[in-house]
Amino acid sequence: MESTLEQHLDDTMKNPAVVGVLCTDQQGHNLGCRGSLSDEHGGVVSVLAKQAAALTKDPTDTPTVCLESESGNILVRSHGTITVAVHKIAS
Amino acid sequence: MGCCYSSDNKSEDGNKQEREPLISPNPPSKPLNGGTSWNPGPGSSALSNEQALLSSILTKTAQNIIDVSAADAIMVEPHEYMDRARQYSTKLTVLSTSLPQNKALALPSLTSQPHQVLASDLVPYSDVQQVSKIAAYAYSAISQIKVDAKEDLVVQFAIP
Repeated sequence: MESTLEQHLDDTMKNPAVVGVLCTDQQGHNLGCRGSLSDEHGGVVSVLAKQAAALTKDPTDTPTVCLESESGNILVRSHGTITVAVHKIAS
Repeated sequence: MGCCYSSDNKSEDGNKQEREPLISPNPPSKPLNGGTSWNPGPGSSALSNEQALLSSILTKTAQNIIDVSAADAIMVEPHEYMDRARQYSTKLTVLSTSLPQNKALALPSLTSQPHQVLASDLVPYSDVQQVSKIAAYAYSAISQIKVDAKEDLVVQFAIP
């Protein structure tokens, strides 16, 4: 069941540079989150990925959205029906 | 118009109509034992105990069963449908104004000094690869989630 996903999120958070991770579906429903990213960010994350993908006509070209700041980056990436956001601080 | 109505109660009590279940848990028609009643033998207390036990089991079972075949499909008149749509949208408008405003759903840690960020190095390609890998793993983990149906939700009863 979803324990594999929960384990995967926990493993991702073990990386010292990662302070938050979120997994959402295409509608922005939260499938799991840890750290600085919480379930209320699901909608923003899924829409960012969707809008970025709409910029290209190639359906196989999946973009990675990166929100940069001086303290770290939030990287948003879709894979199939899900979207993942990872909040990394500058190491 | 499709069936979007759950009761034949034509009263104006909107709240009651909205909260009524789609299917009545205990439809009055179609007794589950087929309408036959058992006559216990004369003076047999063991048999009557058994009867009581049996009928209590039957009652419990009847309470847990939703007889979908007994649920009648009720049509809604077009004008009634429109009235109801208007009524619901009015209610929604009233509710949406009274609800507290949600706080802004801003992602954390946005910068107040964009020039620093723009002048900094590019995002490391390893980070992009890492998030791509995390997304792929998460997708494979989610694809393993399956609904494991233990039993059927709707079963056929052979009623004699």
